[in-house]
Amino acid sequence: MSLTAINTLTKISCVAVIGKMNNPMFIKNYSNEVDELKFHYLANISCDLIEAKITQSKYNDSYLGLLYIMEDLAVYGYLTNTKIKIIIILTISINPVKDMEMKQIFKKVHAVYSNLISNPFYDPDSRNITSSSFIKGIDNIVNTSFQNDVTPS
Amino acid sequence: MSLYKQDKRQVCESCFDYIFIEMVHYFNDIDNSTDKEKELKSSKLEQMGYLTGQSLAERLTGDRSRFTDNLDVIKFVCKDFWSTIFKKQVDNLKTNHKGTYVLTDNNFKWFSKMSSNSGQEDFKKEVLPYLSFPCGIIRGVLSNLGINCTVLADVNPPNQCIFQIKTVKS
Repeated sequence: MSLTAINTLTKISCVAVIGKMNNPMFIKNYSNEVDELKFHYLANISCDLIEAKITQSKYNDSYLGLLYIMEDLAVYGYLTNTKIKIIIILTISINPVKDMEMKQIFKKVHAVYSNLISNPFYDPDSRNITSSSFIKGIDNIVNTSFQNDVTPS
Repeated sequence: MSLYKQDKRQVCESCFDYIFIEMVHYFNDIDNSTDKEKELKSSKLEQMGYLTGQSLAERLTGDRSRFTDNLDVIKFVCKDFWSTIFKKQVDNLKTNHKGTYVLTDNNFKWFSKMSSNSGQEDFKKEVLPYLSFPCGIIRGVLSNLGINCTVLADVNPPNQCIFQIKTVKS
């Protein structure tokens, strides 16, 4: 695939949920081009950046905005009040990504996570999230995001 | 603030009242249980509350800005959390600024339909098992928001409830 073809559409490449103790609970790769290991590595970097950001008082919202950009991947972070970190990695295009739009996506992911926690069959001590309805929920968010992106001719 | 924003689900209060009564009956009404067993059962109720509290905390704090300190979290429990669960706010909050918080609710909703023919002391004894579940909920909420604590409750008839929260240094 040529470089221009990749970069005309913004899309979510990875969604990660990191637990209270910085333990990765869920990392799913939605990209065909990038190796999964890279996302594990990017998510780990984000943990430190999130910790650094929340000490500044201007970030008193759950949404922490753009954390960093590496090559054509933009990493966005979100920290819930219950200290769960949600990280979304985008493959960026020339279309700018609006903060409001990202915030909405994070809120949806958090809602899916809340539903998971409310499931009586979910074991809060389990290390990985394997719930099928959770994965389905996240898949759904990924598939419906950035639908309105206009591909420039 | 509604519990289930996405699909606007609601909970029937009467149904909840009945299930709450039955829950406590289920764990306490077995006559031949020893004191030790009774303790075990109340800790089971407490554990149920704990899990409930954990998921409530996740849901209710979604739209809030970040908490600055423990007092901020306790204030959230007294205001937003209390009004979601008990339809009113806590009447009085006291703290010694050393990690102990005392929450007084002068008209505890879940006990508003309870009364007893026996005297005040007996009523207290009868009503105590019903406090394990709400104590567990409070402990669950606080623990998910990063405060490890123990919660004790006392009741003053007819339905004034006092919850004492002692934070544990982790």
